[in-house]
Order: sequence, then structure tokens, then C-alpha cells
Amino acid sequence: MSQRDDFQPKWKLLLKWGWLSFAVFILMAPTFYTVYISFNELGFGAKYYNFTFQWYENVFSDKQLIGALGWTMLLALITLPIVIPFGLLSAKLYKQSTQKVWIVFILLSPLFVPADILASALLVFFKNLNKFFTLIAEYTGIYSLDTWFDLGIMTAVIGLIVYTLPYVFVVIMITMARYRNEQTEAARDLGASAWRAFWEIEFPQIRAGVFSACAFVVILTFNEYTRTSLLKGGFDTFTSVLISQMLNTGMSEESYAMASIVSLVAVVIVSAILIVTAIKTDELEKKTRIVKEPNK
Amino acid sequence: MIIFFVLPLLLTVVWSVFERTMFWMEPAFTFFSYENFFFSSRLENFLSSMFHSSISVVCAFFIGFPIAIFIRRRVRKVAQHRVMLLFILPFMVSEIIRIFALRPILSRNGVVNSFLMDMNLIDSPFSIFVFTPTGVVIGEIVSFLPFMIFSTFLALEAIPNYIFEVCADLGVNRRRMFKDIFLPLAAPGLFAGSVFIFVNGIGIALIPTILGGPGSVNAGLIATQAIIALDFPLAMAVSAIMMFTLMGLLYLGHRLFNLTKLLEPIS
Repeated sequence: MSQRDDFQPKWKLLLKWGWLSFAVFILMAPTFYTVYISFNELGFGAKYYNFTFQWYENVFSDKQLIGALGWTMLLALITLPIVIPFGLLSAKLYKQSTQKVWIVFILLSPLFVPADILASALLVFFKNLNKFFTLIAEYTGIYSLDTWFDLGIMTAVIGLIVYTLPYVFVVIMITMARYRNEQTEAARDLGASAWRAFWEIEFPQIRAGVFSACAFVVILTFNEYTRTSLLKGGFDTFTSVLISQMLNTGMSEESYAMASIVSLVAVVIVSAILIVTAIKTDELEKKTRIVKEPNK
Repeated sequence: MIIFFVLPLLLTVVWSVFERTMFWMEPAFTFFSYENFFFSSRLENFLSSMFHSSISVVCAFFIGFPIAIFIRRRVRKVAQHRVMLLFILPFMVSEIIRIFALRPILSRNGVVNSFLMDMNLIDSPFSIFVFTPTGVVIGEIVSFLPFMIFSTFLALEAIPNYIFEVCADLGVNRRRMFKDIFLPLAAPGLFAGSVFIFVNGIGIALIPTILGGPGSVNAGLIATQAIIALDFPLAMAVSAIMMFTLMGLLYLGHRLFNLTKLLEPIS
């Protein structure tokens, strides 16, 4: 994996790999520790370690939690078909545009705006929109308008779209970077419609990025707390149940188990994506090598 | 994005000069919320959270920048992205879980203190790791370090290999290479990473809530507490201040380093 520097002693290289591994370990340590404690019958701080699935059984028999899981999944399923096409269109627009600064500014700024600040601004914005639509409903007599921006699924989904779009944009951009636009031009020259050129030529080549973006959206929806908790209205999501348990009763063994479930699912999905991408890249490189150097 | 991101943030400026009512706010033109912010202990808290965030930025630079340089220079081209992806894993685990799990790790009877005592390195457990500003800084580094590594690596990736080869041929030493090649060419990435850590450090309420103890307050916490107290104009004033801080920093960064360069390797 390493690119050796002729003047660099081996121990220095090992030291640098050690530093990198240590950083990854420190970043992952809270997750590992949560998983470790979640399997201990005696919980946190105990002198002995007795392996058990008891806390997971408790979690899965908790009706409130199962309900929250359902709501979170619903949010993810509604967000996905909206944010993925947006991300695709934004990435295509970015590639073709000459005004890249503004597109980047608008699409990536949500990454920089702290969750609490954006959530507060959106909350007040929705409350004002609600008042505005109530006024319109009173004047027009169309009373279905006055509940449009009540805090609920729609407002939570809007918050999630604003939150996840930058990630979707970046992931799709990375895969789109490898795509050569000449292929679309060739397809169009041969008479294919814009949609057919996209669907049959471009999409199969950026499919991996689109699916990775889908996985990221689901994971981010399950991990999100601040925006969703302020904008969701009456129902509970997975993280809101988790946080209320953590803040009200401290980290109980069930909390560790719940946190472990979310973390492990995220880690497994992301690892699977990374492994599949690595294998595919290797295969592609092998094919390119064979085409370039057929005699070797 | 313009309707549901840009507009609400811009409107915070308008709402911040509204007058507070019992449960909501009404149109007016008053700077009471700003006075409420600037002439109270909130300003002190805000400045102290800025100071802690600055420390986190410096720590993230010293930890993250060498890692980004190492991946760019010493890891084979094919494997560079895979190594970078290792830092995506912690990013994909909920920030709340990671921060909450730091409590038992860093507490008096936590893993770190137990390890140090078992190794006979300390006689009594440290109590500075949680419910102190140190805890907040540790939380910020654990939460945001990957972003410093990503953005710096993206900037370094745009440097063509021949620059390193020419430097090697001319016998440029490591210190000079760092000062004259890595630092100036990675500047857009370093700036973007630093702004991200700095702004989120002063804006994310969860870190001081969970790791900072009772006296630890930042702008995000002030805004959420104001919303809980139904003081919407104050929450909007804090949001507006944060937005101007962020916009100012991004504008400055863009003028100095052209931040769009960061996306060149992936576009």
C-alpha cells in the first residue's frame, strides 16, 4: 500500500502508519466502547464481563422504540426519492455551469451551518409560513392550506433534505468525475434522447455513487437529531428516543444497546460500500491494464 | 435550497429585530435582542466558546494535517482514497452517540483513567476530561477531525506529482517543502476545515451540553435555550450573528484562497 521513499527509514514509515491508525482508532473508540458495554450483562463500570444479548432483547421488545424506528424509516423513505434526483441534477448542473462558485456556495453551505442554528431558523420560518398560509386560507376559504407547514413529517423531511443534499452532491460528484461527457454527446449524435442517453449510458456508470448516496441518506437520517427533533412535531424518531433516555436516566444498558444497533448498521453498510467499491476499482484497473498492455 | 436554506437564514436578520411577545414575536424594529446578547454573560460565553473552538482548530491541524500529507505523499495513488475512506466510518456513526460514549471513556472511573492508573502513570484519576472546557475541546476534535483531514487531502490531491519530484531533484529539505509547498498549496483545504470546526464548535449545542458541564455554553446552546424560553427574537439574533460570522469567514477564505479549488479533484 505504501509508496516508499528511498531516503526514508522504514521505522519512520511505520511510525506514520501507526499515527494514522491511532487517529482512526481514537475516532472509532467511542463506538467500539458502546458496542463492548452493550454486550455486558453487568453494564458500565462493572469489574467483571458477562456476555449477554439481554439488553438487545429489551430494546426490541420496547414498543415505543419500534414505533420510533418505523417513523425514522418513513422519514428516510420519503427523503430518498426527493434528495437523490436533486443531488443528481445539482451535480450535472455544477459540471455544466460556468458559475460554479454560487452552486458550491448554496449546496455546500449547509455543511458549515451548525445544526442548532439552521434548525432554529427553519423552525421560525415554518411557523411564519404557517401563519401566512392560515391568513391565505381565511381569505380564500381553502382551509386545507393552513396545515401545510404545521410541524410534522413534511417539515422534518425538508430539514433532512437540506441536511443530506450536500453529502449526496459530493458523493455523486465523485463518481461523476470519472464519467466522460463525450459518451453522452456520442449517444445524442446517434439519435438518443437526453433521457435515454442519461439512463442507458451515464447512469450505469455512476450507479455505484447513486446507491452509495442512498445508503448515506438512510444512515444520516437515522443519525440526525437536532434538526429533526425541532421540526418533527409530535412523533418520536430513533435518536429522539435515544437522547431522551440518555438525558433523563443517563446511559442505561438499553441505551448502549440502542446506540450500538445504529452504529453497527451504519458501519456495516459503509464498510460494504467501501469493499464493493474497492473490488470494482481493482477489476476496472485490471481491465484497463489488459487493454493497454495486451501482451503482459 | 434557496427557499428552505438561504431564505430562512437571511430572514433571521429580520426576525431578530422583532419584538418578543408572550409566546411568539411581532413586527418591530428593536435591537433589544442584540443588547440582550451583547450586554450580558451570553457574550462572555460566546467568546469563551470561540476560544475553545480555536484550540480545537489548532489541535485538529496538528493531528490532521500530517495525516493528510502522509496519505498524499506516501500511500500509493490507488489506495489513497481507500485510506481516506477509513475516516468516513466514524463520520457515519451518529455524532450524539460518539459524544455520549466519550463520557464513560473520559470520566473519573472511565477507561482512560483506569488505563493510566493500571499503568501506574497517575496516582489518582484525572477529573479534567469531562464537564470541563477540556472535555469540550476533546469532543470537538473527536467529532470534527475527519473534516480537517478530508478538506486538506482534497487540496493536496490537486498538487501535481512532478512538483514533489522537482523538489526531490533539487534537494529541497522537508522543512522547506512543508513551508513552501504543503502549507501554501493546502491552504484552501486547511481554511475550509478550520472554518468548519470553528463554526460548528461555537454552534453545536450538544458538545457543551454533554461534555462541558453546567458553565459551558456556546451560541447553539444559547439559541436552543432561547427557543425553549419562547424568546424567538433572541434565538434569531444569535442565528444571525452566527450566520454573519460564517459568511464573513467563508468570504474571506474565498478571496484569499479560492475555495472552489477544493472541488477540482472531484469535478
